[in-house]
Amino acid sequence: MVKSSGSLLNRLAFLRGLIFILAVVVALVYLGFSREVRLGLDLKGGTQLTLQALPSEEVPEITPDVMQGVEAVIQQRINGLGVAEPLVQISGQDRLFVQLPGVADPDRAIALLGDTAQLDFRKGLVPVSALPRNELGEVTAGEDPDVVFERVGLTGDLLRNAYPQAPRRGSQTWEVLLEFKPEGAEKFTQLTRELAGTGRPLGIFLDDVLISAPVVGPEFARTGITGGTAVITGNFSVETATDLAVKLKAGALPARIQVIENRTVGATLGEVSVRRSLYAGIGGIVLVFIFMVAYYRLPGLIADVALLIYALCTFALFQLLGVTMTLPGIAGFILSIGMAVDANVLIFERIKEELRSGKSLYKSISEGFNRAFSSILDSNVTTLLVCAVLFWLGIGLVKGFAVTLAIGILVSFFTAITCTRTLLLTVMGIPSLRKPHFYGVRVEAAQS
Amino acid sequence: MNGQEISSTDPAVQASGSLNYRFDIVKRSRLWFTLSLAVLLVGLTSMAFSLASLGTPLRLGLDFSGGTLLDLSFEQAITTEELRQALQKHNLGSSIIQLDTTTSQDALIRMPPLLEEERLAVEATLREEVGTFERNLVETVGPTVGRLLLRSGILAVLISFGLIVVYLSLRFQLDYAVFAILALLHDVVLTMGVFAFLGLTVGMEVDSLFVVALLTIIGFSVNDTVVIYDRIRENRRLISRKVSFAEVVNLSLNQTFARSLNTTLTTMLPLIAITIWGGVTLKGFAIALLVGFGFGVYSSIFIASPLLVWWRQRRSARFVEEVNADRDPQQLPSDSPSSL
Repeated sequence: MVKSSGSLLNRLAFLRGLIFILAVVVALVYLGFSREVRLGLDLKGGTQLTLQALPSEEVPEITPDVMQGVEAVIQQRINGLGVAEPLVQISGQDRLFVQLPGVADPDRAIALLGDTAQLDFRKGLVPVSALPRNELGEVTAGEDPDVVFERVGLTGDLLRNAYPQAPRRGSQTWEVLLEFKPEGAEKFTQLTRELAGTGRPLGIFLDDVLISAPVVGPEFARTGITGGTAVITGNFSVETATDLAVKLKAGALPARIQVIENRTVGATLGEVSVRRSLYAGIGGIVLVFIFMVAYYRLPGLIADVALLIYALCTFALFQLLGVTMTLPGIAGFILSIGMAVDANVLIFERIKEELRSGKSLYKSISEGFNRAFSSILDSNVTTLLVCAVLFWLGIGLVKGFAVTLAIGILVSFFTAITCTRTLLLTVMGIPSLRKPHFYGVRVEAAQS
Repeated sequence: MNGQEISSTDPAVQASGSLNYRFDIVKRSRLWFTLSLAVLLVGLTSMAFSLASLGTPLRLGLDFSGGTLLDLSFEQAITTEELRQALQKHNLGSSIIQLDTTTSQDALIRMPPLLEEERLAVEATLREEVGTFERNLVETVGPTVGRLLLRSGILAVLISFGLIVVYLSLRFQLDYAVFAILALLHDVVLTMGVFAFLGLTVGMEVDSLFVVALLTIIGFSVNDTVVIYDRIRENRRLISRKVSFAEVVNLSLNQTFARSLNTTLTTMLPLIAITIWGGVTLKGFAIALLVGFGFGVYSSIFIASPLLVWWRQRRSARFVEEVNADRDPQQLPSDSPSSL
């Protein structure tokens, strides 16, 4: 029989299509699921900061150069923090956007980033005993440091390196070891030579606050302290010593900065959010599944299979493209599940109409797909348009929504059309499944 | 529901006489318009009240108003008074405090924008005076950042709207495009109205995600209108001129009814899942989308198409008066043989 051999050929073609789809899905799933999911900081915990550079007397205007300097220093300080996958980005004229996902101690990180960290060695003009003291009895530089200390231009930019150093024997506090560049070493030698034996201290200032005022012994009066290294002692713990070393090594910020936006999420809340998003996603898919089968019967079931393929492929693609999952991103993904099935609704409604107008099942299905295509295209164009605007204007986490929704819509072109068609035509190869009843059309209606 | 036992889906066959369809949607235009106007009125009134009491038409969340928010889980049960007393030490006694009533351990504290040092000091005081806690969330948005976010949010809405307007103008002739845009405006304004109302009644706030929701509503809701208008144009070509425009619109609406409703419903189902199971952050977002999509499908069926009929009837009446026939108003240049 000619007819049956034709349908056999068709069936072979669909089998090929089926195998192709299966191969794509398996490949994507294998590639995608073999990677760890990248969670955004709202799911993993972490800190997102917007820093603003402030103009000052020394830096009256925040130029792009200044911002690049700020960015470089912040980047270096973050490297010292050991955060995986940090993000530092200049945004606008004077703002810096920083993301620190999974940072263990956000408050410490913020303090580390926010300080200008301008180190300055100054020459004491009066003996230590004459310096003012605070209520704790610690030496201070008083109201006006310039009265008791003289700036000699030995600043943090003459440092080559800085390390935290463990407490010496008999001491509890950590120290910070400094290594000068040759020019710095020379100045340091000269300064210590001048101060040696005079009882006047060497003032070590950080951001204009005196943090240490050691006295140089008389034995250095001839040579000064040579070797290009110095040690800052103070009341340092391992953390504060490490942080100061990180800051000094990265150098001072070229301008003062202020945290103008801080979004810090605790790890526990992140875990709760992941769990709830998972429930919402699964719940959403299940609701759509039930609706599609209940309303569209056999094609609905096939759309559900395509939807499952959609969800797997999209997720795998997120992984392959390195999309970071955030809460808005997950919302976009979940929403795209509902939108992906829209294409199927369009197709099936058209198929029903074609069936009711008396066309054969096969013809109805192929017409349904052909005629629904422009609608599907249309409906996705507008949403993609909005995604583009959102991506362009959006900042931070909100961008994730545009990314996942857009990727989802693009994938749904493949799954909702190609997959559904192949699956539907394959199923139609089984004669017992060819009843209009299975396609949600009443027999009487189909015959009229 | 199964609303498509429409036996005459091939309109060309029924070239003359009245068409066979189930719901006469156009006939009740007045009802649909009144319903929308009622919602609009409630929305606008809420916005006015909100403007009077809060200074903004919608209750702005932290994103836009600026401020510092702490979400703390205390190890033992605490009271709002304890929190307030501790906050008073920093002159923050008038902060908004929300204590989870079931556990009395989880507190949301909203304060004016604090500097980092100030916030750390407040946290230290709370730890000393009230008890140890785990900090779930810190959000500080400076006042300038808030204004900036609000401005870029409004800009995004306007740009998206503009792009859709361009798209519609290219795709349809003028009057179709104008009414599609009106329907879209309807969706956005009504959604904002509902949120103004919710802001007054249950303290619902709008944040960046609300803006994202508005954008998504704009992008998604226009689709139903496009599909229905396409069907109207297609049917006008297939059906005899003797049949009134209202009839054609009615038929088209009935033909696309299930499809419009179902695409919206399938999109709403996952949003319902987010509203039920999702976290707090996404709840408001999902609700905004649900409300907007709901208005979207409503306006596509009950506003955009009846408006078009009203307009065409008015226009053709004028044409008859003028006994003028330089251009047949019923003649639509059907440029795209579109579907569904």
